[in-house]
Amino acid sequence: MNGHQGSIRERWFWRLAVMGAAAFGGLAVATWAPAGQAAHSGAAGQMAQPVAVAAQAGPRIEIAKHKYSSPTLTVPAGTTVTWLNRDEDVHTVVSTTQAFRSPGLETDEAYSYKFTKPGVYEYFCTLHPLMTGKVIVK
Amino acid sequence: MNDDVNHVRNTDGPEVSGGDGVDRRGFLQCMAWAGTGLVWTATGGILSSVTLRQAAAADADAVGSFSFVQISDTHIGFKGEANKDALGTFEQALARIKALEQAPAFIIHTGDLTHAQKPGAFDTVTEALKGTKAEQVFYVPGENDVFADGGKEYLGRFGGSTGTGWQSFDYKGVHFIGLINVLNFKAGGLGSLGQAQLDWLKKDVDRLPSSTPIVVFAHVPLWAVYPKWGWVTDDGGQALSYLKRFGSVTVLNGHIHQIMQRVEGNISFHTALSTAFPQPAPGVGEGPGPLKVPAEQLRSLLGVREVNYIQGKSRLAIVDSTLA
Repeated sequence: MNGHQGSIRERWFWRLAVMGAAAFGGLAVATWAPAGQAAHSGAAGQMAQPVAVAAQAGPRIEIAKHKYSSPTLTVPAGTTVTWLNRDEDVHTVVSTTQAFRSPGLETDEAYSYKFTKPGVYEYFCTLHPLMTGKVIVK
Repeated sequence: MNDDVNHVRNTDGPEVSGGDGVDRRGFLQCMAWAGTGLVWTATGGILSSVTLRQAAAADADAVGSFSFVQISDTHIGFKGEANKDALGTFEQALARIKALEQAPAFIIHTGDLTHAQKPGAFDTVTEALKGTKAEQVFYVPGENDVFADGGKEYLGRFGGSTGTGWQSFDYKGVHFIGLINVLNFKAGGLGSLGQAQLDWLKKDVDRLPSSTPIVVFAHVPLWAVYPKWGWVTDDGGQALSYLKRFGSVTVLNGHIHQIMQRVEGNISFHTALSTAFPQPAPGVGEGPGPLKVPAEQLRSLLGVREVNYIQGKSRLAIVDSTLA
């Protein structure tokens, strides 16, 4: 994955986010899905790729300066949360129970996961384990 | 020039404070250099420096003397703003190694060979280092080399016969130990060695007389450079406790992409420059990570290290060279 592809994705993300695309909540799409990491690809096949990315414009957590912008986020079940890496370091979003696991996210690359069941989901960066966060699903 | 990076520091506190001066043990604390090459050695606790050429002439006849090179944090695959050509600066570093008057006995790579395990990056590093005159290259991984697959690829390549990756070897009377402190990171945790590796280390050094010079290399600093940024190994102190009885222990680390030094008793700690990009000084700015500097400064913040062992001298001579 190179930065060019990441920037294309990000451009789409912004354009459609600005258009006010509502969170459909019906798609669970890993926006960064290399071979073998398709666990969260869900119904992505329904739409062309860029649209599918925007369709899950739920809450977004930015990763910058080795921090998750919302270390604790509370969402209703069915919400798709997106993490977007703004650092030049590679970061990950990995559940402490392995419920979800992003690949390494380069600059401007994003990862999304749909939370279907209530619970507290703690996660961290497997490269920089002092980076931690949690999503509370009600 | 960035003064923080081009000074070598000793500090007494658990964290590097940035102050230069003389610590309570009376060691000379700060030595600035900028690519001209200085060797420092200690005689009777007093550090002195000479130029590289003088050192080479004085020590040419020493029996059992040798040198090796430390290279670190090559981050092959990095394409960020902090250095658009990390492969190019890596190759420059290799040219520096090839140009050394005395070919190094071997090379030690202290981790983050790759940037996030980019496909082909391990091959790029290993093939390029074979092109130097060094007979052998020893590796320890950084977190970038193991995070995606729990070290599967790294250990498959470099894990050795035991598959664990930690290692020791002897060269001309010096005992070298390569430790791994980037596997099995836990949420909220720090670099760690783990009990199995600590047990192995204790056994490994128990048989050695205290007069054996020891060199330890690992990616994340074994001492508390800056815990808030994760620049520490949480069970590093346990490992060092096994080494306290030795008269000369040199610890070589990477990870923080800048030169720092600390002396504790007979143990001296040294972190190395990266060949890919600099990072901020501890606590400067909001967090660690690739630091973008003016293009004309970049190469003065990247480099490689030559380490000279002179038989009969208790301290190894550390010579850092930038790519400027």
